[in-house]
This record gives sequence, C-alpha cells and structure tokens, in this order.
Amino acid sequence: MYKCLCVVVVAAAIHASPALAAGPLQVESRVLTEQKTRAADGTVRVALVPARRIVPGDRVTFVLAYRNTGTQPIGNVVLDNPVPKGIAYRAPAATSAAPDLSVDGKTYGPLASLRVATATGTTRAATPNDVTHVRWRLERPITAGAQGQLAFDAVLR
Amino acid sequence: MFRNRVRTLLLTGSAAVASIGTAQAQTAAQNTTAGTSISNTASVTYTVNGTAQTTNSTTATFVVDRKVNFTVIADQGGTKTQVNLGQTDAVTKFKVTNTTNGIQDFFLDPGQSLIADGLVTGIDDFDMGNLRVFVDSNNNGVYDPGVDTRAYIDELAPDASIAVFIVGNVPGSGTLSQANVNLQVIAAAGGQANTRGEILLPTDLNLANADNTVDIVFADDDNDGIGVDLPRNGQGRAYASYEIGTRNVALTVTKSALVLSDGVNTLNPKSLPGATVQYCLLVRNATLTASANGVQLNDVVPANTTYVPGSITIGAPGGSCVLLGSTEDDDADDATETDGVTASFNSTNRNMNAILGTVGGGGVTAVAFKVTIN
Repeated sequence: MYKCLCVVVVAAAIHASPALAAGPLQVESRVLTEQKTRAADGTVRVALVPARRIVPGDRVTFVLAYRNTGTQPIGNVVLDNPVPKGIAYRAPAATSAAPDLSVDGKTYGPLASLRVATATGTTRAATPNDVTHVRWRLERPITAGAQGQLAFDAVLR
Repeated sequence: MFRNRVRTLLLTGSAAVASIGTAQAQTAAQNTTAGTSISNTASVTYTVNGTAQTTNSTTATFVVDRKVNFTVIADQGGTKTQVNLGQTDAVTKFKVTNTTNGIQDFFLDPGQSLIADGLVTGIDDFDMGNLRVFVDSNNNGVYDPGVDTRAYIDELAPDASIAVFIVGNVPGSGTLSQANVNLQVIAAAGGQANTRGEILLPTDLNLANADNTVDIVFADDDNDGIGVDLPRNGQGRAYASYEIGTRNVALTVTKSALVLSDGVNTLNPKSLPGATVQYCLLVRNATLTASANGVQLNDVVPANTTYVPGSITIGAPGGSCVLLGSTEDDDADDATETDGVTASFNSTNRNMNAILGTVGGGGVTAVAFKVTIN
C-alpha cells in the first residue's frame, strides 16, 4: 500500500460546448478522466482532465455543473442523468452529493434497495453495473447567481 | 463561465482507488468498440415561483479510443515439431488472439531464434531454411500448402483467435538436433478486408488530441516475459522448436529362398544339385516418421552354392521377390550406375553388397539374387 499526496484538479471545462438553453437554470454536462503524472519527488499527481483518450476499463467522471442565471430562486430541482450506453456506474464522485439510482428509470433509491429481474423470473440485488439512471434532488432552492456541481464516477465498459 | 476549482484530496490507500476504478472482468467483445461515440445529457425539472419548468443539460461527448491488446502463443501442446533431414514445409503452429476493442490486422514476422530461457528446452544448433509464415485462412487448424497463403492476419474480430504457421525446410545434411523459431506479431490497422493495414503507432500521450478522433493506446503485455518483447509496444512474440529427435528406425531384413528350377521338375522344383535358387531380402523400415539413409545390405553367398553372375536385382517388393526391379552389374565400379541403387558381388569373399540408399518411413526395398546348388 502506498501513500501519496494526490492532488485532484477539477479542470475548468473550457472546451467548446453547445450554447446553453435559454432559461434561468443552466446545466453543463462534462466528462472527465483521471490523468496520473509522477513527479520527480515520487508523488503521483492525479488530475481530472476532459475525457479525450478513453479506452475500455478507464474510469470516467460525469459532471453536471449548474448555475442559476436568473433573478429568482429555483426550487424543486431534479437532475436526471441516464447512464450512457457503454458506461457502467460506479459511485458518487468524491466531492458530490450521493444520487438516487435506478435500474429502470422509474424506481429510484439507494442501490441496496434496487432489484433486477433475472432470466428465471426471480429477482436479485442490483449491482452498480445494472444502474441505468442517476438522479439528484436538490433539497434547497438554488438562489439567484448560485452554482454547484454534481458528479458520479463510472467506467467505460 | 465556471471558476477553476482546485481541491486537495488525501487518498489513504490504493484499495480505495481500485474498488471504484476497475471494471468487472470482461472479454474484448464486451468492450465498447473503438470509435463509439458516448454522449451524456441530463434532463432537469425545477420550479420558479411555483411554475414547473424543464430543461436539458448540455451534451458532453467523447469517442472511445482503441485499446490495442492481443496475445500470441505457441500452439503445439508443449511439444516440438519432429522433423527429419531434408524435410520441406515443416510446420510449427502458433495462435494469435485479438483482445482489442475493435477489428485488427496483424503483421507477422517469422525468425530464427537462439532463445532458450525456459521458454523452449534444448540447444538451438541449426537454422531452418526458407522460413515463411502463413495464416490458417480456411480455419481448420492445419497448414494446407497452396490454400493457407496469406502472410498477415486480416480483419481479426475482438476475442477471435486464428492459427498461424511458421513453415520451413530442414537442411539436408549435418549432425543437427534442434532449431528454435519465433513469431513476432505486430498490430496493424484493420478495417479494410484483404488489405494489410499500416502498422499501428500509439498516439503520442503528450499531444493534444481532438475528442472526436480514435486514439491508439497500446495495452499489450510483455508476451515472452524475458524482455525481448516489451509491454505496451503493440507487438508480441512466441517461440517454438523443430527437433530432429529420431536417431534410429526399426529396420529389419527378412531373407527367404525360392527354388526356381531344378532341371527335373517343372511344377515344384526341388533343391537338387544344379538347381537355381533365388534369395530374397526384404529391407523394411517400420518407423513411419523417419527415413533410413545410406542403407547397405551385405550377404555372404552360402557354401556349396555358386553365385549366378549378373543376377542381382533391386526394387519394390512384389511377384516372387522384386517387381520390375533394376538390373545391377557385379563390379564395384558404380560410375556407370544411374538408377540410384548399386550392387556388387565379391567373388573372393563371396559377399553380395547392395547399396540401397534411402528406405523411407514405412517403406520396403527388396533385393534378389540367384545361386546354383553345387
């Protein structure tokens, strides 16, 4: 087991993104991946960079960055992120609130509460690989000008 | 638009990283194919002053890159290919498996090898001639001359395997025991059938690259474990051996006598004085896999008999002994002989000498000569 001081840099996603929809709530989706570089003193620097070189088995982080650009508070915010094909959900990102999960897009809850039908007609406990939707409900309204971000870790199948 | 966020995070151990960072074990065919575009969009619902609204996030997209990986092994069941001097088109068999998340071509390069290092046992003491490499085009696991003619692997699907044969000729002479060969496999671009793609080069990790291109990432292991092949180089190597293991064959001689005529009885001639007797010697090589070379046969004519001059004949067995055999002269001068076999009779020591040359695996050569009973 090694101990290293790893610095996680959440890079500013400055690559071109489509114009945001009009409206007070702006949500930007980003995909980041870890890039490890070993410094001369032996420490490993782990940076999160926009996902450009990704091969199966690589870990990726899906980020939803939101911002209230309007003048009124925004309440009852629910962000529902279908897990893209080829992506396996793993865990909430280290800095993010934990999302509710779903294996069918209808029933949401903690992973332990979810069950999946099997070929034999019974059900089994869901695993992270079964997750099809990731959803966050924000408890508090987003005040005018406020922003934040939510993220989950996943693996490219 | 967004502020840079810089955070420090103390990771307390590698286990925590591994537990969330690894995908479950899966085969290459289950891997997402290189070039697949993966897009992520979230739908959002919210209320402003009690009015429900919906919106979508922006869409983030990336393209799955090519994770080049494959294995190459000698597929000989741990044995060496047994060969004989002068054998042509002797085969060693290998197996290449594509574990890339996409279709690949592979360049093949056969080579002589001195490598032992536990990968192959025995000392390499000769080289195979005319070394070639062929892919098992008809996928039957056996080298078919004239059918398996492709010298590169074309369009191998993820998780698919194919046999590759190194084919070579064994030198015709010498005291030889073993030749090691190696097969080097180099990943090349797939995508076009019946054309060998260019050898792949990994995308420079330091180069900025566009999101919408398929980068090439080498993920292959050190295939031989001895440092000749290196991990993550897009190449693999495996080793196999040819062995001249057969040092002797089961060579037997069967001798029989047949009275041809006795001057008295026409139907069943007896061994009377003056009778002509044919001696028949069958030289049999019972070893199917190896020829006996330089075979010589000596037979002393029995006492109280007289050799019939010019009666030696050599050839395939049949009839009373030799079927359509050669006619040999009795002198020891073989300069005029052209049929590949020679014979002589030494009247001093009454020895019949036949030089048969090669008796092939499972083959029989017959020698007949005649005497008269004194």
